[in-house]
Amino acid sequence: MTKVRVYISGMGIITSLGNGVSNTRDAIQNSRAGIGPLTLFPTAANQPLPVGEAGDLIIKDDLPRTHQLARRAAGQAMADSREAPDAVVMGVTTGGMLTTETLLKEKARDPKLFCLHATGSVAEDIARQYHCTGPALTVSTACSSGAVALKIALEMLRSGNVKRVLAGGADSLCRLTYYGFNSLQLVDPDGARPLDQNRRGMSVGEGAAMLLLVANEPDHAVAEVLGAGLSCDAFHPATPHPMGKGALAAMQSALADAGISAPDVDYINLHGTGTLDNDISEARAIGTLFSGKKPLLSSIKGACGHSLAAAGAIEAVVAAISISNSVVPANVGCHHPDPDLNLDPVLQPSQRPIKTVLSNSFGFGGNNAAIVLGACGQPGPDRTPADTRPMAILGSACVTGAGRTGRTMIAVAEGEACAGMLDLQEISANLSAGQVRRLKRFPRLALSLAIAAHENAGTDDTPAAVFLGTGWGALSETSSFLNRLFETDEQFPSPIDFVGSVHNAAAGHIAMHFQATGANITMTGGDYSFEQSLMAAGLVSGNICDGFLVIGADESHPELSRLFDRSVAKAACPADGGGALYLKKETRSSGRTIRSLFFESSTNNPRVISSLVQQLEQQQPLNDRYGVILAGLPAACRREGEIQLQTLLAITGFNQPVIDYRKLTGEFASASAVAAVMAENFLEGGQIPEALCDNKPGQLGAKGALVIGTGDFITAMEVMPQ
Amino acid sequence: MDKLIKDLQSKIVEVLNLIDVQPDDIKADERLVGGNLGIDSIDVLEMVIMIEKDYGVKIDNRELGVKVFATLRTLAEYIHEKSPELLN
Repeated sequence: MTKVRVYISGMGIITSLGNGVSNTRDAIQNSRAGIGPLTLFPTAANQPLPVGEAGDLIIKDDLPRTHQLARRAAGQAMADSREAPDAVVMGVTTGGMLTTETLLKEKARDPKLFCLHATGSVAEDIARQYHCTGPALTVSTACSSGAVALKIALEMLRSGNVKRVLAGGADSLCRLTYYGFNSLQLVDPDGARPLDQNRRGMSVGEGAAMLLLVANEPDHAVAEVLGAGLSCDAFHPATPHPMGKGALAAMQSALADAGISAPDVDYINLHGTGTLDNDISEARAIGTLFSGKKPLLSSIKGACGHSLAAAGAIEAVVAAISISNSVVPANVGCHHPDPDLNLDPVLQPSQRPIKTVLSNSFGFGGNNAAIVLGACGQPGPDRTPADTRPMAILGSACVTGAGRTGRTMIAVAEGEACAGMLDLQEISANLSAGQVRRLKRFPRLALSLAIAAHENAGTDDTPAAVFLGTGWGALSETSSFLNRLFETDEQFPSPIDFVGSVHNAAAGHIAMHFQATGANITMTGGDYSFEQSLMAAGLVSGNICDGFLVIGADESHPELSRLFDRSVAKAACPADGGGALYLKKETRSSGRTIRSLFFESSTNNPRVISSLVQQLEQQQPLNDRYGVILAGLPAACRREGEIQLQTLLAITGFNQPVIDYRKLTGEFASASAVAAVMAENFLEGGQIPEALCDNKPGQLGAKGALVIGTGDFITAMEVMPQ
Repeated sequence: MDKLIKDLQSKIVEVLNLIDVQPDDIKADERLVGGNLGIDSIDVLEMVIMIEKDYGVKIDNRELGVKVFATLRTLAEYIHEKSPELLN
């Protein structure tokens, strides 16, 4: 296998420092800052706090601000490129929230108005703009999202399956994050002063950065992406590990992935938010990693604020500017470096050759990512090839309206619908009082599923990594936060609800429960979120020797679900739940395996079903390989889904049972996670319940199960027997 | 002061959703944060908001927070000293 090297062939950026790479470079060279009082929305009773607001934007009036920011950055990254990217991977946490907040405040009730609320709608919009028919993936791991997206893109390219990936991050300012961080007393009223002894917090910012990453060196590469590393503190929902244990692990993993050692790093672009806890934790991690002389280092967040999900991508672009322009950015805002940090930040921008940059991004849930960029034309790094071993299923669990796994499977065996909402007490049955005190419905579902899947595996090992897919995340916490914000005239937002509203909070709790300190990725891609988390697991679990969890879950919320999810708006009754798998990469698997096979957009892609068939029948005809198809047809695009499914069946002549699983599970975004667990259970029993195949016995023999997703995307996952 | 302490006991249990804790379990002179009650830094911030909302008293930096939230009694004393509502 050839070692694929990954390069940046185009990049775009927009922040409070300006629009475009050259404006950003000028701002860096002149140490300009873009932080000023918030003007984007009125602050009812308080003085506006300093933020990093991007300048004039309006691309299209009805497009949410995050989408506009993303379009600006993507336009620049793709300016010199005619070919469509093979995939889009983006870190997004706020999505259409700024627009949604206004609509909710006005008590708008038309689901159409919320059609761009989803975090995933940003990557989908960018994919459409550039005619990408491949996967459009969305990472929501709070402030590390942009960097985690780059890691996933890097691994996709290394796998050899794609050649060009447009990756990055985008987030606009909104009330949720503006008031949320302030309620946690994490905002410096005088503007962020990272590493300064008088620092009092961050400045929330906004922006976007996109990088066109390509396999093998193009003519005008900006820099090479040498490696990236992920970790989780598994320590606290909002506070980093005081000794920087997780930060250190992410940096070490990134250096190992890049095939370099600490002394090779010329410059560190710090996470450096300016909060007391982040800066001390990061400083301690750096002190441990660089025992001798430390590289040059600075944080740009005193200049442009903290742009949350965009930050990791913004700082990757800044790292590339640093390499290609031989410039080291100053740590704007820091005047008296805090002696306790024992760091020597760059206080004035300087010109000097920079070959290798380490860039850090850390987020809530102790979610850490570090990436390494290098100058082009250096000798190839020495890396071990990608691990392509199959993912063995060691345990599984699901929850539906019918109950936990056992009850759900009994209902399914009878062919009865299990759509509904399980009582919160029952969901919490395997959780302790201390664990659930601050958790509402979604995080309880996810944590309960994780624990049940691990228990089902019957192993003493604990998972090292967590991959969670959710269409809509913590709706109850989000709703509760916004309601109280509006009810109290924006004066008394709840810090507990804010921390809980973050998409990856649930995966963070799972990590804390199991002390899972490896990668911790939350994917939010609407109806395909579980598929995205399985795909991320396949790509990133390469160096994980222990087991890991792949989970899909969604809660039904009485107000928000029907506004956000077009399929829920059409559903007969509210439904939620999810599924979880405890997996392990094994060379000689003795159990069943699962893998992600296909993920393409059906928009502007008339050949999508032929392309699916070609991919599926690479090894065997469909009838020989699979004894059942579980098909997901979201209610919002049921007609389209039926046509897609019928086309697949017609082309392949598949003549075995096809289960329309949303008729059983009800409508919720991660219903496919329940379908995967159903498939695993059918294979375990060797047959499909008669009630699901016209009362004929459905023997599976040595055949597997295919879980198909239809609608806006066509996806396929297979569960195979041993 | 006793009434204020009693009020705070109920409010804290409610606002922090302290399952399995009775208001009386929060003792006036025992450690409030990081002890048996399982109250941590996020809970402190939630209490900060509650105290500002219900008593009009701001506790807006960490150094002050550490002193004020040492025990239920120190919290009550601080509110008593600063609250415009209680003065009336």
